[in-house]
Amino acid sequence: MTAPDLRTTVERLEADGDLLRIDDRLGVEEPFAVAGEAARVSGPALCFTDVPGTGRLVSGVRGGPDQTVERSRLPWRRCATALGLDADASYGSLLRVVRKAGTTPSAVEETSLRAERTARDVTALALPVSTPTSPSLVTDGIVSTSVDGRTRWAPVRGVVEGRTALRLSVPERFADAAGDSPVALALGVPTAATLATHLRATGARPWRDREAPAIAAALGASNVAAVDGGQVPADAEVVVEGAATREESPPPDEPARWECTVPTATLSVSATRVSTRPDPLLPCVPLGAPLADDVHVTSVVESVQLSSRVNGYWGVSPVEWVWLPVEAGLGLCLVASELLYAGFEWQLANTLFSFSSSFDKIVILDADSSVENLARALDDMWVKAHPSHDWHFSDPAAPAATAPHYRGDGETGSRLYVNAAWDPQWDEEYIAPRVAFETMYPQEIQEGVRERWESFGFETVESGGGE
Amino acid sequence: MTDAETSPSLRAFLDRLDGEGELVRVEQRVSWNLEASAISMRAAETDAAVPLFESVADTGVPGARLVGDPYRGSQRRPWDRVARALGLPPDLDSATFYDAVIDRLKRPLDPITTDPADAPCKEVVRTGNDVDLLSFPWPYIHARDGGRYSNLHTLVAPDPDSSWVDWSAHRTMLHDSRQASVLLLAGEQTPNLYYYKYERREEPMPVAIVVGAEPAVQCTSVMWIPTGSDEARFAGGLKGSPIELVPCETNDLLVPASAELVIEGRVLPGKRLDEGPFGDYFGYIHGPRRSVPALEVDAVTHRRNPIVPFCVEGIGVGHTENTTSSMEVSCVGPDATLGLWAAGFDVVRCVPWRFTPRTVYVVAVDTTEPGALHELANFIFTTWGMLHIDFFVFVDADVDPLDTRAVLEAIARHADPDADFHQFGTETMPKVPLNIYQTPDEKGDVQTGTSKAKTAKAYIDATRDGSEASVQNELTREARERAQSVLAAAGLPEERLTLVDSEESR
Repeated sequence: MTAPDLRTTVERLEADGDLLRIDDRLGVEEPFAVAGEAARVSGPALCFTDVPGTGRLVSGVRGGPDQTVERSRLPWRRCATALGLDADASYGSLLRVVRKAGTTPSAVEETSLRAERTARDVTALALPVSTPTSPSLVTDGIVSTSVDGRTRWAPVRGVVEGRTALRLSVPERFADAAGDSPVALALGVPTAATLATHLRATGARPWRDREAPAIAAALGASNVAAVDGGQVPADAEVVVEGAATREESPPPDEPARWECTVPTATLSVSATRVSTRPDPLLPCVPLGAPLADDVHVTSVVESVQLSSRVNGYWGVSPVEWVWLPVEAGLGLCLVASELLYAGFEWQLANTLFSFSSSFDKIVILDADSSVENLARALDDMWVKAHPSHDWHFSDPAAPAATAPHYRGDGETGSRLYVNAAWDPQWDEEYIAPRVAFETMYPQEIQEGVRERWESFGFETVESGGGE
Repeated sequence: MTDAETSPSLRAFLDRLDGEGELVRVEQRVSWNLEASAISMRAAETDAAVPLFESVADTGVPGARLVGDPYRGSQRRPWDRVARALGLPPDLDSATFYDAVIDRLKRPLDPITTDPADAPCKEVVRTGNDVDLLSFPWPYIHARDGGRYSNLHTLVAPDPDSSWVDWSAHRTMLHDSRQASVLLLAGEQTPNLYYYKYERREEPMPVAIVVGAEPAVQCTSVMWIPTGSDEARFAGGLKGSPIELVPCETNDLLVPASAELVIEGRVLPGKRLDEGPFGDYFGYIHGPRRSVPALEVDAVTHRRNPIVPFCVEGIGVGHTENTTSSMEVSCVGPDATLGLWAAGFDVVRCVPWRFTPRTVYVVAVDTTEPGALHELANFIFTTWGMLHIDFFVFVDADVDPLDTRAVLEAIARHADPDADFHQFGTETMPKVPLNIYQTPDEKGDVQTGTSKAKTAKAYIDATRDGSEASVQNELTREARERAQSVLAAAGLPEERLTLVDSEESR
């Protein structure tokens, strides 16, 4: 499998009707605002073609629709497209691909950088700004360094502080490893490289046993190029090389959502070289907006790492899926599982709490619940769980979750899990059958309705016509 | 905003839908036995037009027809068809729609009584032994249901101690030519009249079941009109002109003259008939089969070629709309908002959770007074009809309570499990047996229509605490509107941009 680079992904999204070009010249801060609104209304990915500076801006390339509104388009569709999968790939198939990338040996192929060296002025790049007076933003990218001959990648977010100066937030472990080594900032990289970088940053198995370039190669982005700072994806739209030093104060503005999942540190980077591809595509992630790209990427990464960790934990694999809905801003975790025995739901919830710091609320669903139908899963939270017996609050001794806005003072608090699965102790006769076309009508009536649909006078059903 | 005329009858509304390409006249002969319902469910799942079944097999009434979920909205805009029925523009955003309905409810109009000779619902009159309930094409809706149902109608019942007449909706299972069972759940207005007045006095409760009432009546029937209020006046306000009523043949009740069909009868004291199981609004078939009050039918009057509307219950959850879920959003929501205003609570809007009819409501508030939310929840949970509702979610005034994503994010990121989830005690509060989280034993045998075991109610304070970290990059309304105009100019279909409320919103 070969994962497309960013511009190929953009072309595919446009061919799918899932990308909108905005050719008008907008105010300097408007692309950021328009990108935020597009994400909020489940709009398509955007490409701003006429922006001040070098390059174009793209947003929503790793985003996706709000599943509480959209029925047939799934929130991870653009991530799937960017990995070379079908846009309608199920969560299960996405999970298999990403998990396999943690164990499949794949060769990292070194080639030449497609970006060409230009100048040292970072401010010449068409990076987004959130307000007319705020600095240019690095909203999405990866940072690379070489330690003992091995390249390490990490997610990055930051600001431009001068023609050759950047302030970057990176995972603390990356900053510790980088020391005073040269670093390279790569912008506009393939989504496979982004996901690999984030997966490696979680420190979870199986991905922690491999470096990010190898994971990216297994996801289909195998080409890297050597620069000061190790290797970067050869297809990167922009590469900034420079020297890094530790900083105390983090970059201003809204943090990216991945910063809620790992401890971070700040690097100050003095750029020595900037390389760009012709007419480069620069990411514009509306940080802080609902459903922005950073939320989607973090959701996929957290969800797949939790799915992988929780199965096998008890010697069996009862969990069908774990999903942090992007719609909930990663403050809620849904898990569909068989409840093996009385009290298993308590173990399951607390295991998930132990493995992620993002959320403090979990909803446990029956194993046959569909991650592709979020609205129905949420319905079960309200109607299948007894309002008191099945809403379980811990003592207020738990550390504060990072996605919510409350308890930013470091105080401890409670956690909540809602058991919306059928009680395994119940008699079978107590279990209410679900109302659906496939379960409520005899086969001959189902077939008759489908076969005669157009002859009744209805329009042809294209897709998404069922649960 | 330009209003058209509110449809004066169900068939006028269906004609309007037809003219707008929102109706499919199914000419092929279909069966009331699951087939009409299966087609209607398929139409709901695919957001297709409303099916009107022009030829129904095995009916004893010439020209009798069925219509499946006539008020079902679209998945993105559940209020659309109700808006059409009320003569409102079909492209209203949710806030403007709510305001329009509330404005009409504030201006009730007295009904007028018309001559039976002029009443369409009296075109055919059958009384006594001439009545044959089963000659009508009542649908068998789900294969596991306990029988055939009328479930989209208005039940008219009088208070024996005053002039008040309640309009409400209670599903009714047909048993034979003159008997049916009526699901009366104590805690609601009409059931309370039956259980605690008529039955205690060993008197039959006279009722009329109005099937295929005009849209304004159908909408009013599901609203929380205050006890003692004349619902016909609110229906008139909603319609914008007086409702025409006509006397029943066998009792003193007045019924909407434009109805397709009227069943007159008595709910007998102390007599029960089996009812259910039924695929209900929770999205599940729930049981067990229970004994519920029995209806003895005295007369049936109807229009020629009557149209029997029905709702495919159980599908109005998740992404799929049906009449119940659409009316919950479109009618009960505005009415509940008005009710809270009338009670002195300064809420912005009260609406049901978009994908779960009845169980949970979302209330947008701008109050910061200590204890205000508790007081509000306490008030709401003690009003009638609340036996269905287990949760209230309070969100800030700038959160659209109909935007489920925004509400979900508010719950996830602003509702602290330690401080913002409030239960009103375990096993202390009443509950109707139409739930799936209790065992059949806990639900009991519905002697008075409530569960044997009590339950808990909860409210979630998902409003922002002033001490919470601010979100720096939230856009202002002006910035959002400018951004939306850029997106629209670039070609994003405008219906994708409707989650931004209009300037007219409160």
